[in-house]
Amino acid sequence: MIQLKSMLNCIDNSGAAVVECVQVLKKKRPATVGDRIVIVVQKQRSFGPDSANNSGIANKVRRGDIRHAVVVRVKKEMQRADGSLVKFDDNACVLINKSGDPIGTRMNGVVATELRARQWSKILSLAPMHV
Amino acid sequence: MASFSQLARQLGCSRPLLKPQPLIQSQISSRSITSAYSPKPEHAPFPTKIPEQFLSQIPDRFKPRIQKRMKIYPPPPSARAACKDPITTVKESQLAVLDPTGERGTLFDYRRNPRSVRVGDILRVVFKNGDPFSGVCLSIKLCGIDTSFLLRNELTRVGVEMMVKVYSPNVQSVEIVQRTQKRKRRARLYYMRKPKHDMRSVENVVSNYLRQQSALTGQRPSSGKKR
Repeated sequence: MIQLKSMLNCIDNSGAAVVECVQVLKKKRPATVGDRIVIVVQKQRSFGPDSANNSGIANKVRRGDIRHAVVVRVKKEMQRADGSLVKFDDNACVLINKSGDPIGTRMNGVVATELRARQWSKILSLAPMHV
Repeated sequence: MASFSQLARQLGCSRPLLKPQPLIQSQISSRSITSAYSPKPEHAPFPTKIPEQFLSQIPDRFKPRIQKRMKIYPPPPSARAACKDPITTVKESQLAVLDPTGERGTLFDYRRNPRSVRVGDILRVVFKNGDPFSGVCLSIKLCGIDTSFLLRNELTRVGVEMMVKVYSPNVQSVEIVQRTQKRKRRARLYYMRKPKHDMRSVENVVSNYLRQQSALTGQRPSSGKKR
């Protein structure tokens, strides 16, 4: 149930930590796993005080940036085809560019398998674990 | 002029009264005269044995009326008589397919089976596609064919809950990894979602159990992804 003003965790290494949903794309109802949303970066990850010097792990996004993202975990339970329900304890997303490729190169955290049905296999392969 | 015409119109209604009525007398006299009773002429009976080609030429209203009999159907047999308890019948027929041995049902029937799964136990479910999922059982919902249990675990420091249908054909196996030490006093352990009571990850318990199992059976641990 991701909608306007929902705050999500960003679980990739793009540099965003907490983002806010400003638009759900291609849908007139709240977003769930696999849906594309537009976000504003509210909090960026700090890689220590010396991160500014090291350009290798510099943040790819900054606070206030407007980006697209894919929801990968939701608190609202999702029903599977066999009737089982899956829910997570938080809402999380992964930033993507306009063409749909993830901005970050790594992901930390479990994601939902529903991404495969929505053709987000690239994100699924980056994830360390999926349920 | 106008006043005269108005007056004339008002007086117009009394014109029939002023008319001479010579007919009235004659009417009375005619009523008193009795006449011979002539019965209404009866219809001639329709001739039988008319050749087919003539019968078709006679208009419909002159044809003898063949009264159509309305067909009366008997009431449909009561569904109640056919099946006394349809819900139980359907449930049993489904159980016969999904759980022919009844093993899965008794594993979760905590009302009757003392050796069944209890809330607070750590369970490990392996699905048909090989994905395992383990977690603490927070609740067991006994409702016939829809019987399900709720597992909670923590994967990569994120709490994950999965409600699994007991009789789902997607479920390959359910095993009890660890029984709860103390009997839980509640049927639903939803308080375990709170940080204070959360069991956090049960991965080490499950991996210990899997190691023991593989040592007992003398096999290598299953190649499935550790959860």
